[in-house]
Amino acid sequence: MNFWQILAQLATGVGYTLVVTLACIATGLVTGLALAILTRLRPPGLGVFLAVYSYVFRGVPVLVLLFMVFFGLPGIGLEVPPLLAMMLSLGLIAGAYLAEVFRAGFNAIDPNELLAAEAMGLRRREILVAIELPQMLRFAVPGMLNEFTTILKYSPFAYTVGIPDVMKQAMTLAATSLRGLEIYLAVGVIYFLVYKLLLTLMRAVERRFAVPGISRL
Amino acid sequence: MALLTVRNLVKDFEGRRVLDGIDLDLEEGQVKVVMGPSGCGKSTLLRCLNRLIEPTAGQIRFEGEDILRPGTDVRALRQRIGFVFQNFALYRHLTALENIKLGLRKLRHFSEAQATERARAELRRMELETHGDKYPAQLSGGQKQRVAIARALAMDPKVLFFDEPTSALDPRMSREVITLINRLFLDNVTMLCVTHDVTVARYISDSVLFLDQGRVRAEGDADHLLDQHQDPHISAFFGRGARGV
Repeated sequence: MNFWQILAQLATGVGYTLVVTLACIATGLVTGLALAILTRLRPPGLGVFLAVYSYVFRGVPVLVLLFMVFFGLPGIGLEVPPLLAMMLSLGLIAGAYLAEVFRAGFNAIDPNELLAAEAMGLRRREILVAIELPQMLRFAVPGMLNEFTTILKYSPFAYTVGIPDVMKQAMTLAATSLRGLEIYLAVGVIYFLVYKLLLTLMRAVERRFAVPGISRL
Repeated sequence: MALLTVRNLVKDFEGRRVLDGIDLDLEEGQVKVVMGPSGCGKSTLLRCLNRLIEPTAGQIRFEGEDILRPGTDVRALRQRIGFVFQNFALYRHLTALENIKLGLRKLRHFSEAQATERARAELRRMELETHGDKYPAQLSGGQKQRVAIARALAMDPKVLFFDEPTSALDPRMSREVITLINRLFLDNVTMLCVTHDVTVARYISDSVLFLDQGRVRAEGDADHLLDQHQDPHISAFFGRGARGV
């Protein structure tokens, strides 16, 4: 078995790696946006919840939370499918980090623009949707890309809950062929290519929505 | 009946009195300039009048309506008052045209085509018709301020508030904006303008209100106030000797 054959064998797990990564990115985006918007709007009574979420989920290791969800919850009668377990661990932790990225993006908006919108008579919700979110998302692109890359790099934990991703394929192959160096080198190449794809997609989105004075391209 | 009547307006910030019993009348078609040293409460006064800042006490009537009574529709009030800020406050992610269209779409519920047509007309009025697709970062300071004025005028306000409209501009751009304000003055647009700019006060105002330490120190026509007023504070502010020379 040569290097290219190893690569081809591992590639059968790429689809799973992509699904896990995209599902966790989606979970992180939804959670992070919700947390950042709630923090921005400061609804009464939610401040403590938001602070606790941020501290807890940024402090717990991904693998610990994944095992709690996948192996711990069945103990109280809750069976969680592997992909959902990844979303509830890696996705929610990413959400806590993305919330901070979005918070920084919100803080970069010129407060005078918000004052002008208020003076014009726009509702708080209209200001959020029409002015704050479009600017915040543009400011947040570099931080989002960092977090998406982190999610990709943590996605190999999926093999621990039985998802046949690239890592799972590599471990199976290594156990039967004893050619660990080539196999894990090939895994590294695959992850680099997926990272490059993610980077290219994000750069394309960034260029599509670039605005002079906001976007730094 | 005056368009705007203010009586005994008071605003306290953390125990400090910023506005101390302001009286002000603004007739329809009138242009009033508010001047005074930095920190005298000029911008606070303007923000109190459309309730961006809540006054501590006093009375404000706009088109005869007491706008400080509970239950006042503050958003509807703000839609009748155009506000132009010192630092332009254009939305950076929107083009000049989109900046003007935003209020028309969200507040006046214009269709896309109607809003575009109206926004283009306002840009033409500001001699910026070729700049509609530019973002604020691609415009000069004077052009940004003209877009900000177009954005305010597009909403057909009853009055335009200017908060230091030329302070962030160099002399050339400042002249651009003053020329424009002068045109609005000739078109009988009602304006209340906070400024340090003596040119605005002298050539584009019916009367000047001079504030000092949150109080009205003097009110009158610009030439008298700028050149002949005997109050030493006012003389010093305008760079004259205490005897008005």
